Amino acid sequence: MNTLGRPALLAAVVLAVSGATLAAQRTGDPATLPRTADGRPDLSGIWQALSGPEFDIEAHGPRKDTPPGLGIVEGGAIPYTPQGLARRQRNFAARATADPRNKCFTLGVLRGTYSGEPFQIFQRPRDLTLLYQFGHPARTIHTNGTRHPDGHIDFWLGDSRAGWEDDTLVVDVNDFNGETWLDRAGNHASDQLHVVERWRLLDANTLEYRATLDDPAVYTRPWSLSVLLHRRREPNAQVLENYCYTLDYDRYYPVPPASTSVAPDGSGAEKAPRRTAARRSR
Amino acid sequence: MPTSSNATRGARLALLGVLVLTPALVLTQGSAQFRERRVVVTPPGPWTGARLPDGQPDVEGFWSNTIGNHNNLTDPQGRGAADDGPPREGPARPRRAQAGPQEKAPSRISDPADGEVPFQPWARARAQEFAAHLNDPTRPEYVEPFARCAPGGPTKSFMWHGYEIRQYPGYVVFLFDSGNRVIHLDGKPAPPETIKEWNGESRGRWDGNTLVVHVTNHNAKARLGRSGEFVSADAAVEERFVFDPAGERFTYHATYTDPSVLTRPFTITIPNKRVTVDTPVDDWNNQTFHANFPTPRAAGEPPLLEAYERICVEGNEGHGNPAAAPQP
Repeated sequence: MNTLGRPALLAAVVLAVSGATLAAQRTGDPATLPRTADGRPDLSGIWQALSGPEFDIEAHGPRKDTPPGLGIVEGGAIPYTPQGLARRQRNFAARATADPRNKCFTLGVLRGTYSGEPFQIFQRPRDLTLLYQFGHPARTIHTNGTRHPDGHIDFWLGDSRAGWEDDTLVVDVNDFNGETWLDRAGNHASDQLHVVERWRLLDANTLEYRATLDDPAVYTRPWSLSVLLHRRREPNAQVLENYCYTLDYDRYYPVPPASTSVAPDGSGAEKAPRRTAARRSR
Repeated sequence: MPTSSNATRGARLALLGVLVLTPALVLTQGSAQFRERRVVVTPPGPWTGARLPDGQPDVEGFWSNTIGNHNNLTDPQGRGAADDGPPREGPARPRRAQAGPQEKAPSRISDPADGEVPFQPWARARAQEFAAHLNDPTRPEYVEPFARCAPGGPTKSFMWHGYEIRQYPGYVVFLFDSGNRVIHLDGKPAPPETIKEWNGESRGRWDGNTLVVHVTNHNAKARLGRSGEFVSADAAVEERFVFDPAGERFTYHATYTDPSVLTRPFTITIPNKRVTVDTPVDDWNNQTFHANFPTPRAAGEPPLLEAYERICVEGNEGHGNPAAAPQP
């Protein structure tokens, strides 16, 4: 081997190794993924979508209230039934007031994940807890072999039972209440929605989220969406409280001042709310 | 609960070194199997119980306070101004005026000794004004924020329904009936004080059997009871969660220091007990159900408890129109 050959060989080896490393990060080389003590991929951390699906999960040009976006629906368009499409069009026209997000209602399993506000995953062997910043609700994904409760329950965040297929977390979600939207553009589902999610780390800081939605009341066939979630890595990153629904009334609750109480508003008595989410509806 | 069972429990607690500060009856019917009239205080000390892989004392699971609710801070069994509290504690429960002193749980204010919040005079007047109007909310600020589904704040959340503790490396997470709360053990500094939150920002550490938490960034909008007590958003809050190493109980202490509202600091003490598969489901202390396992569990293996999702404001109906509101 001549004297020029060795550096060239070394360079080739380095290049090959670097290329292999990059490829591994892109393809989820099992050796590079963070793992929990029980050997599962460690999904814990603070995650956020950057591609803007909150505005409209279908590809769309710019609107005054919406930046243009490529969408996250595989195949381009949601296969609505005629009735489903008509509902979507009504939702779209009324979105400024009808969007549950604008009432500060819980975004739901799908929209909460890619809304653009961060959420945090806490992981134990028996379950994962997803704490969404928007509205601050907690979702539990059970990974302990349990099944959905019997019967249908109207949950804002559905009922999630999961298992691992190699390094992919596969989640079966049902028991939806049909009240949530999929984005600000009025895309929607009913309480018959059935979702299968696939969560897979592509590298330590990138989480692929893929969901297949089946809902015979709204869609002609099952369809899928996929979006990348990115780890929030700022040293001070954390999920903050966003109890959005308190913002309309928190002005009524200043810390009582020493002089006088706040000026009367005049609106009348209110009663403790009915609590429905936890009750079986059928 | 049979007397022998009470005796067994008493002996066990005595062995654990748990102090009963105020002798009082333990109720013996229905949901009273969980609810109590005495304050059982767990003393601080070393942790001798189970630990999680990251070294934290293992205190995961479902818990609930054992006495009363948030209607009245200083008279935990008192109805206060409201009357939509927990299930009645048996049909023979005497009215307050008839209850003997031995049946009365003490004020949650464990310091000062008189059991009252050491308010400056103007602040006491503001608290009393709120309580006087709770059932006559002629102004929006008289509607208790909890009634609008606002989180209960760091302390009042422990006077409400049962709740769950989940633990992770660097975190203790509380899932309450109204709102959720993350205790950071990870050393991450709290955000700037310009950010105010209902439950605030919590930074904690374990000291033996005690989780010590400093709460900052709280908005002080959640009162300390429907009885109207409050502090300002500048109040320093130190919490001490003292866990019994046997895993049955813990005592919550919160010390509030706030020179703008108080004449001296005060401490709230709330006893808590673990909710187990043997705890009667009363939709109050215990709102759990048994997980749906595909096959019957092995002999001797208890059912696994789960909780329904707790999402409040979105389910409101008839809000502001009580006559039309369906009953829960």
